[in-house]
Amino acid sequence: MLRAAALRRGLSTSQGKRVVVVDGARIPFAMAGTKYKDQMAVDLMRYALRGLLTKTALPVTEVDYVLCGTVVQEPRTSNIAREAAMHAGLPHDIPAHTVSLACVSANAAICQGAEKILAGQADVVIAGGCETFSDVPIRYSRPIRKRLLGAAKAMKKGPMGALSLLKGLKLKDLAPEAPSIKNFTTDEVMGHSSDRLATKFGVTREEQDKFTLRSHQNAQKAHDDGVYAEELVPGVEGDADLHENGIKAQSTPEQLAKLKPAFVKNGAGTHTAANSSFLTDGAAATLIMSESKALELGYAPKAYLNNWTFAAVDPFEEMLLGPTYATAKVLDMAGVSLDDIDVVEFHEAFAGQVLANFNAMSSDEFGREKLGRQGAVGTMNMDKVNPHGGSLSLGHPFGATGARLVTTAANRLQREGGKLALVAACADGGVGHACVLERYPQ
Amino acid sequence: MLATRLGRAPRALARRHLSSNDLKFFAGVPEVTKEGVAIIRLDNKSQKMNTLSPALQDEAKMLWKELTSKHDVKAAVFISNKPDNFIAGADIGMLAAKKKAGEEDSLRAVCLSGHAMFDELKGSGVPFVAAIHGACLGGGLEWAMKCDSRIASTSPKTKLGLPEVKLGLLPGWGGTYALPKLVGLTEALPMILQGKEVRPDKAKKIGLVDAVCDPAALEALAVQTAVQLSQGKKKQKKKSWKRWATEDISFGRDFVFKKAKETVDKTTRGKYPAAYEILSCVENGLGKPPSDAFAFEADAFVRLAKTSESSALIGLFDGITAAKKNPYPSTTKPSSVAVLGAGLMGAGIAQVSAEKGLAVALKDVSPEGLAKGVAYVAGNLDKKVKRRRMDAFKRNTIVSSITGYHDSDGGNAEAFAKKASQLDVVIEAVFENLELKHKVFGTVSGLVRDDCVLATNTSAIPIEKVAAGIDKPERVLGMHYFSPVPSMQLLEIIPHAGTNEESMSKAFGVGIKQGKTCIEVADVPGFYVNRALAPMMAEVAPLFEDGVTPKQLDEAILDLGMPVGPITLLDEVGADVGLHVQHTMLADATMGSRMAGAKPEMLQHLVDQNWKGRKDGKGFFVYKGKKKEPHQEVLDYVEKSIKQRDAELTKEQIQDRYLSRFVNEALICLQEGILKSPADGDLGAVFGTGFLPFTGGPFRMIDAVGAQLYADKLSRLADEHGDHFAPAQLLLDHAKAGTKFHP
Repeated sequence: MLRAAALRRGLSTSQGKRVVVVDGARIPFAMAGTKYKDQMAVDLMRYALRGLLTKTALPVTEVDYVLCGTVVQEPRTSNIAREAAMHAGLPHDIPAHTVSLACVSANAAICQGAEKILAGQADVVIAGGCETFSDVPIRYSRPIRKRLLGAAKAMKKGPMGALSLLKGLKLKDLAPEAPSIKNFTTDEVMGHSSDRLATKFGVTREEQDKFTLRSHQNAQKAHDDGVYAEELVPGVEGDADLHENGIKAQSTPEQLAKLKPAFVKNGAGTHTAANSSFLTDGAAATLIMSESKALELGYAPKAYLNNWTFAAVDPFEEMLLGPTYATAKVLDMAGVSLDDIDVVEFHEAFAGQVLANFNAMSSDEFGREKLGRQGAVGTMNMDKVNPHGGSLSLGHPFGATGARLVTTAANRLQREGGKLALVAACADGGVGHACVLERYPQ
Repeated sequence: MLATRLGRAPRALARRHLSSNDLKFFAGVPEVTKEGVAIIRLDNKSQKMNTLSPALQDEAKMLWKELTSKHDVKAAVFISNKPDNFIAGADIGMLAAKKKAGEEDSLRAVCLSGHAMFDELKGSGVPFVAAIHGACLGGGLEWAMKCDSRIASTSPKTKLGLPEVKLGLLPGWGGTYALPKLVGLTEALPMILQGKEVRPDKAKKIGLVDAVCDPAALEALAVQTAVQLSQGKKKQKKKSWKRWATEDISFGRDFVFKKAKETVDKTTRGKYPAAYEILSCVENGLGKPPSDAFAFEADAFVRLAKTSESSALIGLFDGITAAKKNPYPSTTKPSSVAVLGAGLMGAGIAQVSAEKGLAVALKDVSPEGLAKGVAYVAGNLDKKVKRRRMDAFKRNTIVSSITGYHDSDGGNAEAFAKKASQLDVVIEAVFENLELKHKVFGTVSGLVRDDCVLATNTSAIPIEKVAAGIDKPERVLGMHYFSPVPSMQLLEIIPHAGTNEESMSKAFGVGIKQGKTCIEVADVPGFYVNRALAPMMAEVAPLFEDGVTPKQLDEAILDLGMPVGPITLLDEVGADVGLHVQHTMLADATMGSRMAGAKPEMLQHLVDQNWKGRKDGKGFFVYKGKKKEPHQEVLDYVEKSIKQRDAELTKEQIQDRYLSRFVNEALICLQEGILKSPADGDLGAVFGTGFLPFTGGPFRMIDAVGAQLYADKLSRLADEHGDHFAPAQLLLDHAKAGTKFHP
């Protein structure tokens, strides 16, 4: 039940300026090395921007700012937002910058855009993100890099100088370095951290596999029912296929149970290739505006972006538990309880991570000791959570996922008729994000 | 002025300083740097382009005299004050005037006086540097090559070339001598023979320019180069072994010329005398002293200037230039179009629109149809990127400027409706079905502004019928594009009786912006191009009946100088399309007997057998990838079922019967007001059908041959084959009066 009296209005300026989500779009997410194997991340972002501009018929000159998230950066497009915006045909005089906050990069982009709007810096912001795992920068090892950078100087001394470069070089230095999904500080890969978290919060392998299967089946149903027709835009030119190729609804619980743990391999591990999100290529973009501007341009916004927050936790102990902290925080900001939320879009990095967070939220002890509350944040009503699939099935292009979550949440509010939506996601480094959307009355 | 008023002696006037107001072709009296470099700024005050003329030469000499009398000039730089051209070439107006007056011989002196002018300038012994930004073409490049060094800006506007051949001429100011000397035979020949332009980077690579730099640094670098030259510093370039082998060894040289001549024979079928004159000038110039080469070249130039080919090509050039002007001027320029139907035509129209900066909404029935259209555009642009005609950024922005919509779920109908209110012109390119066109226009007319033009890209349906029943039919008109749209230059714009001028203005605005040569044509079946083509294509069957084989026919027509023969044309267009046009024209009572000979059952047979042409992989030819070979079954069919006699026609007879039916129909189009002018008729014929470009089109061709002679030829054909060859009244009138279509 909504406690109307307690509900504070979302963030607004003293003049009553509020931020609205007008629309959003994503190109079909695809497993790395498939559909977008010949594209750069900047291309994917361009398709998403182009798709959003097409579906909203937004005159490009109305855009004030473009923000894009991305994580594994291509050195040639370090400000990928600017490159993608220009290649998508946005006028040169629209500034754009790139944000990087691991898996909540697009959320950071959207929130920064919202802050720009509230600060009077912009009225129309396109915020989104992109990622490709089909072409990650693979580097020479440090010893080789060091020698290459010193080569010009050494060559001045003639051939002998060049030879001296080889001194001290070991065979293993010749092996290239690919980036891995490992935290710099903890030196631990995400899957490992998540596996430990799941164990700590008593999430079983069976529960994880069940949640995984649910995600795939929900995603397939959403595609079959045409739910995503209003979110998907074509990717590569000339490809009309809007299918997302990571969805495996035909999998059986037996098949999932057969898989070996992928990270913690000592027998205690529960995280497998199936119940972890897969490497994904994709891009998404969300159009946010000040309410007044949206109305002036003749749009019917989908939702208010009421409150948002970021939380950070100890990455050694609680790497992917950020969403619980952020959720508690954002619910307080909004002045509502978890029960007041009608729509939940929760990032599924790992099934174990999602369920561990839910367990933490429903724990009185955790609420008291870690969050300093009277008791638990609340018990998650699973019917409200990701009914159209999530990162486990649709895929998780790091930089793009946040924009997908916000767009889907806004569309669900309109479709389902609920009042409030919660979006929450975890990120490497122990950062968590959560925001509250409110359905825009039509 | 003041001086005269005060009654001073005229001598004082003569000694007066030159001021910028006295100069027509230069910006002002050149400034001289402290190092003694004179910066001479070209600036044609009355036109956007610097062009060469005797008057400019006189002014240059005067300026130089003035300059050297006052300063110790050690070197000089030529630079242009124009934003986008150095010198765009010779003044074509001057050339045309001489031709018109029959004073072509005087052009020899014009050529030679140019050499004399530079001799005079260089007589002072100072080095000259050309600082090139923008178009440096024809006489402009020859001017630059007279200089001791050339620096080019890296701007995309900068292009260097000798395009004279495109006007049936040759570079008459030493180009055939200087260019091979500078860049070598193998680079120079294609540039002069095909009029190929080169960009700065290529120019640097082949040695046409000595350095390239940012436009902002051009003047400074040119001055610096001039200083170095004046101090005697210039690196001598060593001749490459390739140049040595192809220029200095007689065996290699002969081989190059033999190959070049073979290529010219093959590509021009001997129809363009300029190519041969160019070859002889280049060959003559090798190893000769400049004065001999220049005299030889000037003579050749005069000979070419007298040819009907050069008159024809200059006429066409003028026609294109004139067609760049909107005949329905308006202050507002259309900026946004929608193309309905993303098939080959629709996608092509979307591409040429987006490439020229129009915002395009492309709509199809299905997402797959839309995707195919977008893929077509992207694919075409990718080819340009691959050939370095375009960079990836430009490609992406063009593709991005096409917003795609479709009628299925997720096709964003709402967004299209929103876009529609911003549209200036909607062009439909859906199937040739009146009901469908009505449906499409009916829907969109409710979304667009009242002043948005509704254009139909039909080739067979009368515009009047399309307009009937549409709300505000005065905004409906026809825009008939030719396939493939990106490479076909012609656009027929067809008003129906009620179309208003505002709509015509927008249609022309869009067409011109798309880079098309637009002609206005009346709303009759086939409009102009297909209407004139139909009797010509109708002649194919009678020729087959007379025992001409398909191969023989194609060869004869290629020899005539057409880019494709009739059976190749049929295969490319598709027998079904040809049949459709034939039926349309046969049904048109106003054609009278002029469709005589048409044999729809022959085309019907091809259609029935699925031998429609390239799209079926089979037609008169069998297509295997890029290769094609004669299709024996069709040849047998023609031999057994069509052929009636062995008339043993000569090549000329075949050519006359085929071509004259087109020409006569074009004449009737002008006579009946379907065409607005002979110039339109020429442009339409050349750019719509590839009609013998060296004749400049049917009307210029008749002007060159003589109306009487051509009328006689048609009368003879009419006597032999029937009334459908009977010369148009308009031709008889011109013959009687002894007048020309292009006076």
